[in-house]
Amino acid sequence: MKKSNKECYFCVNDIEVDYKDTRTLKKFVNFYMKILPGQRTGTCSWHQRKLATAIKRARIMALLSHTHK
Amino acid sequence: MSKTKQSGLAHYEILFIVPNRFTEEEAKEVIAKVEKNIKDNGGEITYQEYWGKKKLAYIIDHNNYGYYQLLEFDYESTLLEKLDSNLRLSTEILRHQIVRMKKRSSEEIAKAKEKTDKLNAKEEVVEKEEKKEKPDKAKAKEKAKIDLKDLDEKLEGILNAKDLL
Repeated sequence: MKKSNKECYFCVNDIEVDYKDTRTLKKFVNFYMKILPGQRTGTCSWHQRKLATAIKRARIMALLSHTHK
Repeated sequence: MSKTKQSGLAHYEILFIVPNRFTEEEAKEVIAKVEKNIKDNGGEITYQEYWGKKKLAYIIDHNNYGYYQLLEFDYESTLLEKLDSNLRLSTEILRHQIVRMKKRSSEEIAKAKEKTDKLNAKEEVVEKEEKKEKPDKAKAKEKAKIDLKDLDEKLEGILNAKDLL
């Protein structure tokens, strides 16, 4: 995949990844609620790791669904 | 996992769901029970947030809705396992999650929240503007639908008027 010029959302806005903030998390999943790759969203690898655990935590607490209906 | 076995206070955050079969008042009693459980074991609650009744992203044990409660607390790390199992065995709590985190003052929490809220609000404005442009298309679609309805009515009229067969 080509490297995109996108910048990491969390680095640019200086915010921490939080599993309770579903509005932000929803940007990083696709229609089928799968976690999007970092290349696609431009998230840096450090934040991408945090993001993956945050999304999984949100799924456990029924804040995000595992699949689309 | 040698870290978790060290004794001493650590900072945790818990989010749990009280199922919808309770009324709001009963749910608050359940929440008070959990708080009491934490305090009795030497824990100290530093922050709490009640989210109220929320729709679950998926059905859990036939429950569509739940009451969410968030607590931040200092707790003896060796006792945490017991608290976790207690909550798991409890039938009054649908689901819970304990996360270890850095200690934050209430000001820091408020600041972080304000930041994300601002960001989200900004994006909402952008989304709304995008939506404003869309209604034209929706209206056009409605018009097309109306036209189709008229056509259907006309067709029916014709069919009724003429004695077919």
